[in-house]
Amino acid sequence: MGRLFSLTYPTAAVLLAVQSGHRYGFDIMDATGLPDGTVYPILRRLERRGVLEGQWEDEAQARREQRPQRRYYALTPVGEESIAEVLERFPTLPRIFGAEPGTA
Amino acid sequence: MTEIPGHRLIASAARLVPPPRRTEWQREWEAEAAYAWQRLVREGTPSSLAVLRLRVRVLTCWIDALWERKQTMTMMGMWADLRFAARSLLRYPTFTTVAVVTLALGIGVNTAVFTLVDGVLISPLPYDEPEELLSLEHLGRDGRDELPMSTGLYALYQEQSRSIEELALHSMQAVNLVGGGDPERILVQVVTPTFFQVLGAQAAVGRTFSEAEGLPDGPRVAVLSDGMWRERFDADPGVIGQTVDINGVLREVIGIMPASFGYPDRRARLWLPMVVDPNQAPLAAFGMGGVARMAEGSTIETVDGELRGLIGRLDEFFPESGAVAFLTQVGLAPRVRPLKESLVGELDRTLWILLGTVGFVLLIACANVANLLIVRAESRQRELALRVAVGAGRADVVRAFMSESFVLAVIGGVGGLLVAAGAVRLSMDLVPTNIPRLDEIGIDARVLTFTGAISIGSALLFGLFPLLRSSGDLAGQLRDGGGRGQTGSKQTHRLRNGLVVTQMALALVLLVGSGLMLRSFQAMRTMDPGFDAEGVLTARITIPNAEVQDNGEVASFFRTLLQQLDEHPLVASAGFAQSVPLGGGVGYHNLAVEDFPAGNGEIGVLASNNQISAGYFEAMGIDVVEGRSFEPGDGADGVRAAIVNAAFAERWWPGESALGRRMNRDSPQEEWFEVVGVVENAHYQSLEATPEHMVYWPATVGPADTPLPARSVDVAIRTTGDPTALIPILRGAVAELNARIPVSNPRAMTEVVSDATARTAFTMVLLGAASGVALLLGIVGIYGVISYIVAQRTREIGVRMALGATASSVRSMVVRHGLVLAAWGVVVGLAGAVAMSRVIASILFGVTATDPWTYVVVAALLTVVAAGASWLPARRAAGVDPSNALRSD
Repeated sequence: MGRLFSLTYPTAAVLLAVQSGHRYGFDIMDATGLPDGTVYPILRRLERRGVLEGQWEDEAQARREQRPQRRYYALTPVGEESIAEVLERFPTLPRIFGAEPGTA
Repeated sequence: MTEIPGHRLIASAARLVPPPRRTEWQREWEAEAAYAWQRLVREGTPSSLAVLRLRVRVLTCWIDALWERKQTMTMMGMWADLRFAARSLLRYPTFTTVAVVTLALGIGVNTAVFTLVDGVLISPLPYDEPEELLSLEHLGRDGRDELPMSTGLYALYQEQSRSIEELALHSMQAVNLVGGGDPERILVQVVTPTFFQVLGAQAAVGRTFSEAEGLPDGPRVAVLSDGMWRERFDADPGVIGQTVDINGVLREVIGIMPASFGYPDRRARLWLPMVVDPNQAPLAAFGMGGVARMAEGSTIETVDGELRGLIGRLDEFFPESGAVAFLTQVGLAPRVRPLKESLVGELDRTLWILLGTVGFVLLIACANVANLLIVRAESRQRELALRVAVGAGRADVVRAFMSESFVLAVIGGVGGLLVAAGAVRLSMDLVPTNIPRLDEIGIDARVLTFTGAISIGSALLFGLFPLLRSSGDLAGQLRDGGGRGQTGSKQTHRLRNGLVVTQMALALVLLVGSGLMLRSFQAMRTMDPGFDAEGVLTARITIPNAEVQDNGEVASFFRTLLQQLDEHPLVASAGFAQSVPLGGGVGYHNLAVEDFPAGNGEIGVLASNNQISAGYFEAMGIDVVEGRSFEPGDGADGVRAAIVNAAFAERWWPGESALGRRMNRDSPQEEWFEVVGVVENAHYQSLEATPEHMVYWPATVGPADTPLPARSVDVAIRTTGDPTALIPILRGAVAELNARIPVSNPRAMTEVVSDATARTAFTMVLLGAASGVALLLGIVGIYGVISYIVAQRTREIGVRMALGATASSVRSMVVRHGLVLAAWGVVVGLAGAVAMSRVIASILFGVTATDPWTYVVVAALLTVVAAGASWLPARRAAGVDPSNALRSD
């Protein structure tokens, strides 16, 4: 199978960030340290290619915290598969995302 | 809670996002912003820096929104445009059909010719690492003598050269295959055992030659071609180990080559090992082809340099050979070329010219389609103006136009592939069989890429023209209520006139090209080849040593055969020669001429040699200019006679008679032969080349009891009727004498001549077809423009007629318009043709590239055709009813 997207450093960083639990747009910006303007276009593209899947968070959670529902991103099975390639191409990346979500 | 920073930014950016995605998009950004704000506030009043950071981050939602917009618009928009284009094309079936057929023709002929070019010139040879393969040849006298390869040089290079990894010799021979069914005369390649190794070719079944099989007294073996194996042995793998009788020698079959292998000549039915004794390999026995594989790190230059060095030291390596002096004298030099280049030979020029030609046809086709599209663009003004009015940008308008061109090009491209597939299949019967690598030709991925590229290229080209015209004020058009603005029309006319002039000019260039080819072909056909092919049959007969050993018997075989043939009522005269004209296989040799003695080590007189029988000149229709023809008994002891051709006589005894001069075949102990006749120059090599100097010797030379006869001859028989009727008569006569001797390749001499003109004929037919298409497209172009102008000017014509203009004056006005366009086309085209004449000059024969007659006739033809194409719309114009015309608008 040919690759679905070009595996640049920013793309790889976004994928690994999602995999290590940074699921929301702003969290991913924080975790990856990528320029703010680049993260969303990457997310959109990966979602269109079926590598990521966007979901609305649980309504109860948002209500409890008195804020609107956020949209989070998760790896699809295709996305899971692509992680191996990400690790192969950018072996130093995982250490950057070793931390727990939200603490970055 | 205070308002979340950036809230309004998000709302305004959301307007950019296409509606289907907008709500979700906005919700997501707002939620993110809200969440981030909440976290800031939870830790107390946020610092102004933190707020600013959040604002900047939210600001990037614009980037996201713009990306979303672009993505959705290009995907949705492009698709919608394509669908719209397809639908609107379907609404105008005539326009679409004409455009598609035009494009399919243009793209088709280009694809077809590219398929040829690709198969012959571009694609690599089907051998291992083909770029390492070289053809080895030698030239003498600055390229005037071709001295391919000799066994002596082979042995020398093999031993001494470091830049060559391995080399091999090959030589085509005709042998008699006996046993099984009819005796058969077949072509074989005799090759050194290194041959298959050099090419990296493996046997499909069994093996290829081993080193021992190339040594004197080595095992007698043969490797079969796939074709031979299938036809003669029913593809039986058990044939390995069986024996075949070749020229009376039994040889064991050791291998079968795959069907794909056919180097260096497809006609070879099997391969025999060449026996080379390195200690006795003659240095000057040229006449073999050489192929080599470069050693790693070598280049053509290093190989060439090394071989030059070795040739410079020939006297060291061959101290006893008398040939060294001769080779030094002629300035023997290696000619090292990539193998592919030597295979393709001079064909590349013809093919590139053809590709250029059909490129012109495609340009003309594009001009035609552009013309059609401009008309379409006129009628689309309103639609486009509407698009602009509802907010389409310049890019959208371009896309709307281009998508239609694109759809046309894609359909045209597919049609073109069909045309090409048909044309390639058709032309396979037409192309001269000596075109190399013919069987490798086919439509492959590279050809498909080419077709795709020229289709898209054409779409860009012809799609551009309507854009040039529509860059005006579209909104203004809408306001004015229709696409009839006068300025626009004027611009359009100029554009379309320009296109038609270009078309005419291109068509003229092509017509001049094909006219010149036609004249070349005519010149070739009507030239005096120095013999009379009409009513002559030729066939080759070879008597192998193993079949008839005794020379006297061989001589009497041919003598009796000629006698029997002469007695037949259908035969006017009969004779034979080592080689008949255009038959190939005339050898160049050194002569000793009494009047021009050569010093030691100098070259004497060089000439082609041909051994012929009495009756040969009469049968072949070669006229005796001076003296007499051969008679039976010439050549025997005491009657040493020779005949020279006019070119030879003129070269050595200009203005004097050659009769009575004496010469021999450069062996000091041989007697002198006296020139008894001079004959006209017959073309032996090719029709195009100047006839070589030639000396004819009697067929049988020597004392009556031990004559030395030619063993392999071309028989020539002249009849008053159909020469092919002689084939059974000849076969019968030969079989009666010896049933094991085959008659091979019997052909009417006229067929031999037409084969020799095949390449010119092929080029002529292709160029003719291309320029025919060009002319047709040109006619369509001029007709279209004039018709359109007439339609546009219906009102004006109506007014003129109402004011008293006659039908004929209207007609001539319209035709004049067409002729003005044609005249411009002719002027530009003539200039173009003169500029291109240098390119085509190299493939012409008997006519100069600036032949005035061709130019005049073609220019006249084009003018007449243009007048004809304008006549139809002119007649329509003259039929305009003034009252209708004035009312219609």
